[in-house]
Amino acid sequence: MAVMTTRFVSAAELMARVLGFADYKFAIIPHPISSASGDALRDAAAVAIDQVRTLLVHPTVTA
Amino acid sequence: MPLAAKTYPVPDIAAAQELYHANGWTDGLPIVPPTEHAVAACLNWAMTPPDQLLGIEPVRAVPITAEKLAINAVMAGCLPMHFPVVVTAVTAMLQPEFLLHGATSSTGGCAVLIVLNGPIRRELGAAGTFNALGNADRATAVIGRAIRLALINILEVRPGGIDRSTLGHPGKFSYCIAEDEEDTTWNPLHVQRGLPPEVSAVTVLAAGAPRQIMNEWTTDPEEILETFAAEMRANMRHYSIWAGNYALIIPKQLREHLQAAGWSKTDIATFIHVRARVRRGEWAEVGKRAVVRDQADTEYAALESPDRLLIVAAGGPAGGFGAVIPPWLGNKSIAVTLPIGACVDCGPPA
Amino acid sequence: MVLRVLDPSNETTPPLGVLAPRVASLAGATVGFISNGKEGTHGFFAHLDRMLREEFGVAEVIRRTKSNYSAPADAHIVDELRRWQAVVTGIGD
Repeated sequence: MAVMTTRFVSAAELMARVLGFADYKFAIIPHPISSASGDALRDAAAVAIDQVRTLLVHPTVTA
Repeated sequence: MPLAAKTYPVPDIAAAQELYHANGWTDGLPIVPPTEHAVAACLNWAMTPPDQLLGIEPVRAVPITAEKLAINAVMAGCLPMHFPVVVTAVTAMLQPEFLLHGATSSTGGCAVLIVLNGPIRRELGAAGTFNALGNADRATAVIGRAIRLALINILEVRPGGIDRSTLGHPGKFSYCIAEDEEDTTWNPLHVQRGLPPEVSAVTVLAAGAPRQIMNEWTTDPEEILETFAAEMRANMRHYSIWAGNYALIIPKQLREHLQAAGWSKTDIATFIHVRARVRRGEWAEVGKRAVVRDQADTEYAALESPDRLLIVAAGGPAGGFGAVIPPWLGNKSIAVTLPIGACVDCGPPA
Repeated sequence: MVLRVLDPSNETTPPLGVLAPRVASLAGATVGFISNGKEGTHGFFAHLDRMLREEFGVAEVIRRTKSNYSAPADAHIVDELRRWQAVVTGIGD
């Protein structure tokens, strides 16, 4: 799973396209990380974890 | 051999401008419409077939062919005689140690400084005197611009796309300088970096904007160079503390004092290596206390060794000015020097 | 008058890769992080590590940091990720 801060979303979309994965889906977290407080980093991780459910895991559904 | 690029018919030059601007194929300035005739003339002059692969940008697996580079060189205003320099500069940028993708996509916003050495400067009319870092002459203007257009068009290095530069700097239009080899007693840069003097050469550096210094009040070499060192220390404090390739541009007025005192480029580099140093704790004086941590006494040098300093004799004859050009970010990208159209250290034919 | 002008862009298409299949569950899995090592990433990945274990039952989290944050992941890291069930990496600062 790729995680991008909001200000790099366009870079991620472009890189996905130029590498042949135009529809690649990635997680997005708040920007910036470099000056974020400990609480903000925890919150950013929680935002990422929410997206893990759809981006990393694909549970099979039994009939 | 026919050219492979797609062609577009346009009724006139104005329409050509709008086509290229609309497609994001320019740096914002008008371009020279690249016709087959003009592109073929560049390739013929450089004796390169259009499909010659100059290299592959590895991060995105993008091939750079002679034809595509020639198209961008023509757009920049290059004549055929400028094209071999453009080819050599791009070949140098494709060397792994230059880290082309990182250098051209970083938020750090560096440009590619190109230093021109050897006899080709005189053939091209690249003077290296007045306004050396500005619009000095046709050759350096168009060669520098060709590099930027190639980055934009072949490697899609566009602002907000692959190019994440927060600020960038004006060198991203064109950043090419010729050394004034005829008016100095010093060895040219390419000789300092191991090439024979008869060869023409290109040195590329992923570089920030020039920082101009002034010291017209002394003839003492150590005092003059201390001003350069102070500007390097300021860069370490204000921008980035990490060691890398710095370039010093030393115009004639200051250069003559250093030469008269018998100082060579090696002497200068040895002095600067010692003097361009800061302690990490100095960051606290410039608003960066948060990252000093418990390492306040750790010393950092701007240069890992004296030979990491690129000294270029260039600039007009009057004015006690000089310039410090810092690296993009430490030694993430290393300066590369390549000969133009020559193979140095090649073995004899079998 | 008609001028015929040439396309300056890269007209080749990139080699297509294949998206790795998603896992059915992360319970008992080994997840790797490839960090760019920039300021703040240590704290972010520490929280993510804990949350993956607590909420998804991840068994092991392996953290790796690139030697150069402006370059692709080192070859030894790319080799290692074959042994992981999932990877988290990204762009940001």
